[in-house]
Amino acid sequence: MRIRRTQRAAEGVAGYLFLLPFLLWLLIFFAYAFVRSVYFSFTDYNLFQPPVWTGLANYLALFREPLFLTALRNSLAFALVVTPAQTLLAFLLALVLNQKLRGILAFRSAYYMPSVTSSIVITLIFIWLYQRQGAINYLLTLGRAYGHLVLAGLALLVLFQLAQVLLERRRGLPAGWTDPVLGLSSLFLAVGAVAALVAAGVLPLARPADPVSIIWLNTTDRFPQGPISAPIPLIAIMLMNIWTTAPTFMLLYLAGLQDVPRELYEAAAVDGAKPWQQVVHITWPQLRPVTFLVLTLGLIGTLQMFDQVAIIGDQAPLQSTITLAYYVYHNAFPPGAIPRLGMASAAAVVLAVLTLCVVWLQRRVLRY
Amino acid sequence: MKMADMPTIPRGSATGRRSKVSADLPRPIRPGAGAAYAETIQPDPRWIARRRWARAGIIYTLLLACSLLFVGPLLFALLSSLKDNPSEWPPRLDPPQLNPANWAAAWQLGRQGGGNGWFGQFAPGRSVSFEVRYLVPPGAAAVPPQVQVPRRVPGAGAGAVRLGPFAADVAEVSPPQEVSRQPLARGTVVTYRFRIRNAGTVAVDRLPLDVSVPAGQVFQGATLWPSRQERQGRVQSWNNVTAGLIPYVFNNYVRVFRENYSRSTGQNLFLAWIRNSFLLATVRVLTTLVFAAMAGYALARLRFPGRNAVFFTLLFSMMIPSQVLFISNYLVLRDGIWGLAQIWGQQTLLNSFTGYLLSSVVTASGVFIMKQFFESLPASLEEAARIDGAGYIQVFTRVILPLARPALGALTILTFQGTWNEFFWPLVVLTAPQDRFTLTVGLLSFRRTYGVAFDWGPLLAGAIISALPVIILYLVFQRYFVEGISFTGTKG
Repeated sequence: MRIRRTQRAAEGVAGYLFLLPFLLWLLIFFAYAFVRSVYFSFTDYNLFQPPVWTGLANYLALFREPLFLTALRNSLAFALVVTPAQTLLAFLLALVLNQKLRGILAFRSAYYMPSVTSSIVITLIFIWLYQRQGAINYLLTLGRAYGHLVLAGLALLVLFQLAQVLLERRRGLPAGWTDPVLGLSSLFLAVGAVAALVAAGVLPLARPADPVSIIWLNTTDRFPQGPISAPIPLIAIMLMNIWTTAPTFMLLYLAGLQDVPRELYEAAAVDGAKPWQQVVHITWPQLRPVTFLVLTLGLIGTLQMFDQVAIIGDQAPLQSTITLAYYVYHNAFPPGAIPRLGMASAAAVVLAVLTLCVVWLQRRVLRY
Repeated sequence: MKMADMPTIPRGSATGRRSKVSADLPRPIRPGAGAAYAETIQPDPRWIARRRWARAGIIYTLLLACSLLFVGPLLFALLSSLKDNPSEWPPRLDPPQLNPANWAAAWQLGRQGGGNGWFGQFAPGRSVSFEVRYLVPPGAAAVPPQVQVPRRVPGAGAGAVRLGPFAADVAEVSPPQEVSRQPLARGTVVTYRFRIRNAGTVAVDRLPLDVSVPAGQVFQGATLWPSRQERQGRVQSWNNVTAGLIPYVFNNYVRVFRENYSRSTGQNLFLAWIRNSFLLATVRVLTTLVFAAMAGYALARLRFPGRNAVFFTLLFSMMIPSQVLFISNYLVLRDGIWGLAQIWGQQTLLNSFTGYLLSSVVTASGVFIMKQFFESLPASLEEAARIDGAGYIQVFTRVILPLARPALGALTILTFQGTWNEFFWPLVVLTAPQDRFTLTVGLLSFRRTYGVAFDWGPLLAGAIISALPVIILYLVFQRYFVEGISFTGTKG
């Protein structure tokens, strides 16, 4: 009995010794910091004078301040657009990558490239791409000039495919509507037909059009016009973020796809389920836990979006890009003004509460 | 989880079609079925094989298109970072910097100027021979071009601050001599040659050149393709004729290193930033490995009062945004952790690597990863060691750590990448002087120095350089990246 107790005490001592560095770090740089931030949020504090208790004044002031409300709206819009979009894209990418084909690993590495690159590199590159005479506007210009050829090609592709499948079925072969061999030959036929139409002068090669010169960053305009809209610079950041984060979540989906029992697909195939039906009725429901995880991580990540706003900086108007996280920083270190740490902390607490709500919601939903 | 053996599951259509076909098996095969047969027949194996091949072809095309979407912007940035003007409209995919003929010319000119082929210069007493070709329209008189060595700075932004000698002060240009004439249907192509001599006593690193012709004559080519053409093609302009191969192809990269010096210490800023990022990432990897493994082991294997409370706090800390914590952490560092830093003689830990490292000595997610990993290990091994009389520390160092290699590998990669890419905390803590920046914060200052002047070349070059280490690390240690993601991802 005595020995047992000393042994347990020894284990306790050992445990705390092992834990000591981490525990110190956690206490100073997390627990203390968290409590102090909450405390600051109820005070008036500017770094130079000691904090003065003001109760809920900061929170009341926050929800009357237009910049904070803009930041809150931007953050919510950002989270609500980016999260579903990147989740869907991640799912589709995982489906495409989940093939047993030679060289598929190389493709996976390629797709993951944006996710390992730092936010500053990606954002700098995108600021450049988003310039008025940048590559994105150039691609849109190309689309405006040659888009009609692509549309005509697609229409012809569908027509040729229809005709070929019907022909093949008349010959008694079990060709599906998306038959790959016929698809390829329809594609070649469509490309040839478009080329012939252009050569014959029926379709113009390039439609004369002015170059697209959308101002992506330095604008206060919103899109689309109407009650539900977002600032164009924020949309630019949204597109960029979807592009960078989708590959991260794609990996989670790929891992999840391994756990889907193969028998389900075999059974569905025997019952004559089409590939898309298998995706809708087997893959998607089976991956529900992964989807919840991806949505939660996505919401948490998007709510905290900071780097992109800071890096774009004065290339875009502040109210068009500001998010909650940036609002906090902006109030703590305002350029050429007195720090408002009380307001910053209050906004940070709002951000924390939002994040915790998301986590709580996920727990609730997962319990069912 | 091994990503090497990827699942084979939804090979949807192929599997589906084959089983459908086998369901049709009892039907008689009708070879040479004509249009008259409306019902389904058994297709021959070649018909099915063809479909498999076509399907693979379509999927590869789709995969390639998606790769273009994800790697395209990065590759395009890499390509454009070589250009003299990365914002040219329309953007071209074949910059002269990728043309081997220009490589040979840059090499030759660099040697003529007195440097070696790799890095050229314009040394005293050396002279460079240069040719230009113009198309003179029929009926017009061939007028020799005017050649001038302008007094030009390397670029905008930081590049505009130039102190060194200018080639314009030392260069002597011989009058252009006509060397050949080639009649064509569209006119005559006339080739001129001239020599540029360094008549001074100092070597210059850059020899810019402007060649102008009267309107009507059309530029056809030159020893080296010009950096840009101005005034409707009447002026051809070279940034540096005697660059040598590397400064010619990687002009913007060379500029990034050459143009950024600290105003206080004269240190090369970009090199300093790279060094800082490497140093901080390496130290942080080491401390995180040690402390996260220790804490993870304690939380996973040892029983002591308060363990659950610690673990709960850890989980909670992973959900709290860093923006909530940075104000207090900033103040703690400012005050030198309540004056403790005075023990080793620091009043404040702001703008100090010690401060940065102390505040990120370990990460909650690192501890979490290690705890999850240790819980997945069988307990029998350490129990055997304990029975043999080994102490806790011995068990940890001799038994546990060697087993933890995969998790430690994943943690190393994740921490290195995380620190290398980290933006927010260095931005708050390491603000001055400039040579104390990390690479990410340094790049932000690049946006201010170059971006304002729309001088995108050095910006892109800097971005590419800073992305390279992590991309190489990723390509080499892919497995660990993937494992790290699945570790942190499944925290739930």
